[in-house]
Amino acid sequence: MSEVQRRKYSQVEKNSIFDGEFMPHIDSMYNFAYRLTFDEDDAKDLVQDTYLKAYRFINSFEQGTNAKAWLFRILKNSFINEYRKKSKQPAKVDYQEVETYYNSDDVDFQGTTDLRAESVKDMLGDEISNALNSLAVDFRTVIILCDLEGFTYEEMAKILDIPIGTVRSRLHRARNLLKEKLKGYAQHMGYDTEEEE
Amino acid sequence: MEMNEETSGSRKLRCDDTSKCFELLESILDGEMGDPGKEVLKEKLAKCQPCFEHFHLEQAIREVLKNKCTKQAVPKELAQSIREKLHDVK
Repeated sequence: MSEVQRRKYSQVEKNSIFDGEFMPHIDSMYNFAYRLTFDEDDAKDLVQDTYLKAYRFINSFEQGTNAKAWLFRILKNSFINEYRKKSKQPAKVDYQEVETYYNSDDVDFQGTTDLRAESVKDMLGDEISNALNSLAVDFRTVIILCDLEGFTYEEMAKILDIPIGTVRSRLHRARNLLKEKLKGYAQHMGYDTEEEE
Repeated sequence: MEMNEETSGSRKLRCDDTSKCFELLESILDGEMGDPGKEVLKEKLAKCQPCFEHFHLEQAIREVLKNKCTKQAVPKELAQSIREKLHDVK
């Protein structure tokens, strides 16, 4: 935790912040944890650890600031430091490598005629969910934070410890990759994705 | 057929810079551009077919993501378990 300790809360204040500002976010926290770990038990542990850390470092939380963003940042860091190591996921993706690879122009989503809004609307929850889950964790994370949780770019920059410009470009690339996945599903399902005739 | 870009009421079929435009549209959809963004959006949607389609596709994707990927059922015992663990460390 890098924040400076701003003040000391009394026991009553601590409990009130914890119950009033931290606990209401448990649904979003669990959803995020589950989409990072893909495992119910790991997600539960991750959320639980995050809340215990939040309580332990509660003096570095400034009342009136965004508690949800603060909690998400702790959860993300816990995931990187502890869970990624032991999870069955492939080895840690190298940020730089990923950024460079997907930065090339040929991965840019080519036009919009090959995936239609209508076919996306018709997709099942599982297909959307699988497409999202299939993205590398760094790309998956920005989509979760932005589209599922509604964080602003500035909040995301703080949660992820990256500049706003990187948030914007990573998000753009993540969405291109997601569209490629969705296009795959749409084609598989026989939707009209291209004018082949 | 060459499409006259100046034809009133119709959109140009080619976007001059999809990469830049699409990233901008996404920022507008994310609410990052404020009121000036709304003006830019209005103009792009009225004048450019690829931007128009991209915008609606992006909007549809955001909607399905929000509706279909946020309903992970939280285990009932989780909140209680956190409170118990917390009680121990207090």
